[in-house]
Amino acid sequence: MDDIKNTIKMANQIEDALLKLRNHCYVELLNQIGRAAEKLRELTETSKKLAVCLSHNWLSAAEVCGIHIVGLTKDVTYYLSQLEKLADKPTKPMPTLSVIVEELKQLRREFNGVEFDKTEGVVSVVTGPITLDDVYLGPFKIQLDLKKLPKLYVDVPYSCIALDPHPAATNEEVTHPHVSNDRLCEGEGTAAIRAALEGDRLCDFFMLVKGILNTYSPDSPYVRLEEWDGQACYECGYVTDSENTYYCDFCENIFCEECSTCCRSCDETVCLSCSTRCSHCDEHVCPNCIKECPECGSLCCSSCLEDNLCPKCLEELENENENRTRQPTGTTTNPNPGRTEANGPESEIQDQR
Amino acid sequence: MRILFIDNDGAGFADYIDIAENTTVEQFFKIKMSGNEASDYMIRVNRQPVAKDYVLQEGDRITITPTKIEGAFVA
Repeated sequence: MDDIKNTIKMANQIEDALLKLRNHCYVELLNQIGRAAEKLRELTETSKKLAVCLSHNWLSAAEVCGIHIVGLTKDVTYYLSQLEKLADKPTKPMPTLSVIVEELKQLRREFNGVEFDKTEGVVSVVTGPITLDDVYLGPFKIQLDLKKLPKLYVDVPYSCIALDPHPAATNEEVTHPHVSNDRLCEGEGTAAIRAALEGDRLCDFFMLVKGILNTYSPDSPYVRLEEWDGQACYECGYVTDSENTYYCDFCENIFCEECSTCCRSCDETVCLSCSTRCSHCDEHVCPNCIKECPECGSLCCSSCLEDNLCPKCLEELENENENRTRQPTGTTTNPNPGRTEANGPESEIQDQR
Repeated sequence: MRILFIDNDGAGFADYIDIAENTTVEQFFKIKMSGNEASDYMIRVNRQPVAKDYVLQEGDRITITPTKIEGAFVA
């Protein structure tokens, strides 16, 4: 008996919320008309400006007006299409208490854990444990907030709460591939969910949400199931998603951003272990690009090697060559042909004699 | 005869339609949901599960709801 009383009390609350939803549909219709009218006013103002530009032959200014008009036209089209969707709804009989009671009875038959919280104005059901592609996600509570139901056109009136959360390793707010922060991304179910709520079909609403929770759409999840447990860096073990991991072709392992780098010479990704620091510029170089100086054996990148030598050895060689040029056999190349440096000014006088 | 057909597939449809007498649930599904597998849907008549050979009656309310619906991610 208490159960029937509670059901009827809840049905009353639901009936109120559904009536407010219908009212709000027309409120939203008015809002959309206002938005469309505002854009049409802007279009009228812009057309006046265009007329002024044309009368003065200001073609560049007219082009700017044209661009603005294109944007406004798109806005008007959008608001009008939204308007049409809101206005073009088949007339439905007002929800009756007996129909809502039948909905609630069916809800009890279809779901376990059906709860009616009269104080909070919340109707909730619990799904069975959900496993998608061998990834256990646990059961979910689908909670419809009757206070938010009238705002269906501007807000989401329900939540999907994980009761035994097994969130993605890289984002604990993602408890299901299509649920983030308890908010379900409805995808293909959007129109049907809205139609069910507008049509006072509460049980259909819950079954549609359950259908989405039981389906994995690999094309557009918050986190892919293949990456649900994340990817651990081979070096440090840090777990992250695939967008923040890097593959080293040399050791064929996956690394995080901290444990990998780019080769200074060829720009290829290389892990810190496979890379070598150039002994001159200290940049990281991959195994393919690191070269050994034949003189001293130091490892350098191709940018620092010159004539196949490291900068230090090259400088030493240049110094040697310079020294040899100055004193190879006691004479030197005389920049002043009339004077021999080795003999000094006396030889000049002797030559003149 | 007239029945109320609620199709929760796609954009959703809920309206009265006319069907031939003695149409079973299975036949109805094949007509209205041709190309789809009945096992992918939950079918209720007057809010109750029924056998596929149930013969639809005048004024019946039949609901067909997909059990697999692809969600998405809001970019």
